[in-house]
Amino acid sequence: MSQTGKKLLAVFRSSIGRKLLTGVTGLALVVFLLEHLYSNLLYFSTDPDAYNENAHFLISLDLVYVLELGLLTFFVVHIIVGVSIYLRKRKARPDGYAKYQSAGKPSRQSLSSRTMIVTGLVLLAFLVIHIISFKYGPGIEEGFVVTIDGEPVRDLKRLLEEKFQHPAYAFGYPFVMILLGFHLRHGIWSAFQSLGAMNPRLTPVVYTLGGVLAVLIAVGFLVLPLWIFFST
Amino acid sequence: MTVHLRIWRQAGPDSPGRLAEYTVEDVNEHMSFLELLDVLNEKLITEGEEPIEFDNDCREGICGSCGLMVGGVAHGPQPRTAICQLHMRHFNDGDTIVVEPWRATAFPIIKDLVVDRSAFDRIMAAGGYVSVKTGGAPDANALPVTKEDADLAMDYASCIGCGACVAACPNSSASLFTASKIAHLAMLPQGTPERRRRVLNMVDQMEAEGFGDCSNHAECEAVCPKGISISAIALMRREYVRAVLSS
Amino acid sequence: MEIAEPHVTERPERSRLKARVPAGRLQDKWDVYKNNAKLVNPANKRKHTIIIVGTGLAGASAAATLGGLGYNIKSLCIQDSARRAHSIAAQGGINAAKNYPNDGDTIWRLFYDTIKGGDYRSREGNVYRLAQISNNIIDQAVAQGVPFAREYGGLLDNRSFGGAQVSRTFYARGQTGQQLLLGAYQAMSHQIQEGRVEMLPRREMLELVVIDGRARGIVTRNLVTGELERHVGDAVLLCTGGYGNAYYLSTNAQNSNVTAAWRCHKRGAFFANPCFTQIHPTCIPVSGDYQSKLTLMSESLRNDGRVWVPKDTNDARPPSQIPEGERDYYLERRYPSFGNLVPRDVASRAAKAVTDEGLGVGETNLAVYLDFRDAIERLGRQAIEDRYGNLFEMYERITGDTPYEVPMRIFPAVHYTMGGLWVDYELMTTVPGLFVLGEANFSDHGANRLGASALMQGLADGYFVIPYTLGGYIAGAELGDVTIGHSTFADTERAAGERLRRLLDVKGGKTVAEFHRELGQIMWDHVGMSRNRDGLLQAAEAIRRLRDEYWQNVNVAGRNDTLNKNLEFAGRVGDFLELGEMMALDALHREESCGGHFREEHKTAEGEALRDDDDFAYVAAWEHTGDHARPQLHREDLEFEYVRPSTRSYK
Ligand SMILES: Cc1cc2nc3c(=O)[nH]c(=O)nc-3n(C[C@H](O)[C@H](O)[C@H](O)COP(=O)(O)OP(=O)(O)OC[C@H]3O[C@@H](n4cnc5c(N)ncnc54)[C@H](O)[C@@H]3O)c2cc1C
Ligand code: HEM
Ligand code: FES
Repeated sequence: MSQTGKKLLAVFRSSIGRKLLTGVTGLALVVFLLEHLYSNLLYFSTDPDAYNENAHFLISLDLVYVLELGLLTFFVVHIIVGVSIYLRKRKARPDGYAKYQSAGKPSRQSLSSRTMIVTGLVLLAFLVIHIISFKYGPGIEEGFVVTIDGEPVRDLKRLLEEKFQHPAYAFGYPFVMILLGFHLRHGIWSAFQSLGAMNPRLTPVVYTLGGVLAVLIAVGFLVLPLWIFFST
Repeated sequence: MTVHLRIWRQAGPDSPGRLAEYTVEDVNEHMSFLELLDVLNEKLITEGEEPIEFDNDCREGICGSCGLMVGGVAHGPQPRTAICQLHMRHFNDGDTIVVEPWRATAFPIIKDLVVDRSAFDRIMAAGGYVSVKTGGAPDANALPVTKEDADLAMDYASCIGCGACVAACPNSSASLFTASKIAHLAMLPQGTPERRRRVLNMVDQMEAEGFGDCSNHAECEAVCPKGISISAIALMRREYVRAVLSS
Repeated sequence: MEIAEPHVTERPERSRLKARVPAGRLQDKWDVYKNNAKLVNPANKRKHTIIIVGTGLAGASAAATLGGLGYNIKSLCIQDSARRAHSIAAQGGINAAKNYPNDGDTIWRLFYDTIKGGDYRSREGNVYRLAQISNNIIDQAVAQGVPFAREYGGLLDNRSFGGAQVSRTFYARGQTGQQLLLGAYQAMSHQIQEGRVEMLPRREMLELVVIDGRARGIVTRNLVTGELERHVGDAVLLCTGGYGNAYYLSTNAQNSNVTAAWRCHKRGAFFANPCFTQIHPTCIPVSGDYQSKLTLMSESLRNDGRVWVPKDTNDARPPSQIPEGERDYYLERRYPSFGNLVPRDVASRAAKAVTDEGLGVGETNLAVYLDFRDAIERLGRQAIEDRYGNLFEMYERITGDTPYEVPMRIFPAVHYTMGGLWVDYELMTTVPGLFVLGEANFSDHGANRLGASALMQGLADGYFVIPYTLGGYIAGAELGDVTIGHSTFADTERAAGERLRRLLDVKGGKTVAEFHRELGQIMWDHVGMSRNRDGLLQAAEAIRRLRDEYWQNVNVAGRNDTLNKNLEFAGRVGDFLELGEMMALDALHREESCGGHFREEHKTAEGEALRDDDDFAYVAAWEHTGDHARPQLHREDLEFEYVRPSTRSYK
């Protein structure tokens, strides 16, 4: 293996390297989420075709496979590292305290920070269902088709509306989105700290903004299913 | 006042441990928490029982010997205070206080509340120094250091090595301890020549000792008797990236 | 009760100890020594094992330096890490004659102040060397990354400390000792990494092993397993700190002890000036009998705080309600030119004098006020907070009062022991191959130590003196092959084990701490700030009785084969009970007042200390002559060629 390769591997094996990875992948996933959120919110656009148009545009990009592969890698790395951090933590203290509590400020320990692995794993399960339901769900062949600019494209909007008629979807999704909010409540701030971008003055600001962003993302995602369920 | 104590007793590294219950009456509010344990120990000795072992030495919050989980918090409820400096006026009559040792794989229990923290010494030996032989140092004023940097270096250097950061960390990470030394020396020109080797070696050693990774809970900063900021950890990560990129 | 007069008060015979200070001008002595010192071949250094007991400033700096030179070092300490030695607790600072502030300091002036501060009971040659070396220490520490306080220009800041007329004290907030010790500990850690230093923490030295008249090893107890261990070496460096805990309550750490030094004393090392104890004037007063230690408040507080007591003995009003005219600022009154900044011994005695008159304040009446009201009015609260914020916080944490509003209550407490094992100019004791560094030796502070000079001495000894003098010894001595299989090792180990067993077997009715407290009370009452013949005689007798009772009635808990702090303390208290008597005898024989040793019989009309240079300008070095025999006094006469002993006056 090349010198650089070895060096990189060493980084990934070190505890700081692991944090750099969770940070980079976590932030990349947040960027992806923001893109996804934007796409979702097009549902509410005054142009009824905006949603499907955008979806079509995305899957017709030349680089779509590269992007998807990249995204998949980020997910996989994020998950592997997240789980390994969790496993190391278990090993580092097999017998817990009879009594333990946070000392309070300036600790950032919270329900959110303590449950990263739980919210993460739920997100993972959710992702699988989500991808099966939508990405690999019924498409043009199954009749989910709409014509835009004279071209038949997949009618994802209808699929969405049908799926979210179902209460399990309509309420399951928002529930998971709340958990996503929890994941990001600690996650966003934490990623900056992991990347070494923090100092005592910046920390409180980023921590607060991270919380706000987490709420916005969670709310942004959960309105769509609820809206569809209640409005139709 | 009267306090009830539930204290971890463990005869040796491999023996099973348990929380034993004790009650101490006539506790004076000016007593320190360790003096409360002294009083209890005197009583135990007189009754023919083995006293409770706990590490302590300076009893003024600087040597870092003492370290107990008191009421579920490392060094007890008062911020920026080692347990030897915590006085009983911070408790109430009738309180039940749980007292446990630091718990971490890298800090094996020796007896009762005493743990082995030698992992910290090994992390320091891996690079927590400036290699300078005795004699031959240039005049102390040869290298000016801005007051801001010197003050910041002092903030980081004030670590007492007690291990509360590890004990309180949900992951048992030694990041704050390791980072504070790296940050201290990185702030000063004297520490610059070795900064790359230092961060790589110390981080490796920290890993090898079996501490957990840091998940940025920042619990360490909250329990640190010197209030060392987790910015040290951010700085350590920057140093690390720089070291890897440039080596 | 009729008390037998101990033999020692008779004129001691004039047995003279040789300090082996090199000839030549004072300024040249150390250079002369270094020029002539024998050197050890670099390739041979690693063949020599040096045992260093203690990892405080003295021990850690010695280990780092000697390891760096290539010796094979074995280093031991009681705590779980070398970094926790009690040097860590020093707050105020470290002196050096750098003269960075350009306020007239010189090596000579630092030397002179130290000799005078020690009330002319120390050796000129040693003290001058200390002053010479002081500057190198600062350079060394800065190179190690010790974050001393700096000015905005980026250069080092100095402050005036302990009443010095120049600003020569370097400091790192209120944590100077911590930073210096961490510097030395880190340098030592480097040598551990290099494989030159082997560090054995949680070990207590119980015996010195002397073979063919030379120190060749030690016996330690592994404090975790209780095992006795033998260590062999070519020289033993004792860096075990002070014995202030003989008084039970002191500013020392819980583990500070005299055991290592005392066992060496019993194996032939003379103990010098045991009665010279420093009682620090600004400590937080005792609040109850559960008290386990006393906390020092840095003496820098006296730069801005004013010391006072009410004029009326029955004044129970809170301090703020006592009007100006009814306060006695007794230091300013008695010492108009130095005022609140008189040296430690003077300030402490003055506090004792006013409390003896019943003017003390606080619950126990054993305290005086240290008041910042005027300073806050003059400079503003912020300025005071900048200077003393962390000290005020510490005070508040302990007492629950805030000094910004209520004056501090302070009282003297035992702080430092100038006495210690006798060493010559090379820091070697009367046992060849046994060297003593730092507070454990008696060397440089005479009868009273000035503030910020113990850190200086510990580091001078470890970084800069011992590398030369040890080399001289190793190169010059015929060191035969000795292994831990030697019969003396076995005998010494057996003796150490025997003593532990005896302690455990007594199973009496009083705890170790009870005995220690009783001893402390005797020491404080009679061998404390102010001493007199009757009190000292009584003390010696009472300590003897207490010691006899100890071995018949002590209750030591637990077993020998595990971690057992009670057993550790039992051994140490046993030694304090022997040392205490010798301290009383030493104080009794020294029929003068000097420095921290104040004999009520020897004072001026105004109540100030009265030295007797004709009869007592010597170091009293005591030789152990048997467990129940009186120690034999030896003298080292102090010759003052360069300074003329004068009366210290702070009026
Ligand atoms: C609260 C306080 C504040 C002070 N402030 C100042 C100040 O501002 N400026 C100043 O100059 N001085 C100050 N001093 C004095 C100064 O700190 C000490 O005199 C000095 O640090 C002593 O250093 P040392 O290396 O001789 O011993 P220590 O630091 O006491 O180290 C003793 C070492 O010996 C070991 N040891 C002891 N006995 C045994 C044994 N039997 N077996 C094995 N190991 C043993 C211990 O484990 C420890 O490692 C202060 C002292 C105190 C108590
Ligand atoms: C949309 C998907 C996700 C996003 C946006 C996301 C985002 C983040 C971010 C920003 C962090 C903080 C990184 C850091 O501390 O440096 C983080 C941490 C974490 N993530 Fe995710 N994550 C996602 C999915 C997952 C999944 C599927 C898992 C599955 C296990 C997971 C597990 C974790 C864990 C365990 C951590 C904590 C790491 C630690 O303790 O240091 N995440 N995540
Ligand atoms: S005993 Fe030294 S810090 Fe608590």
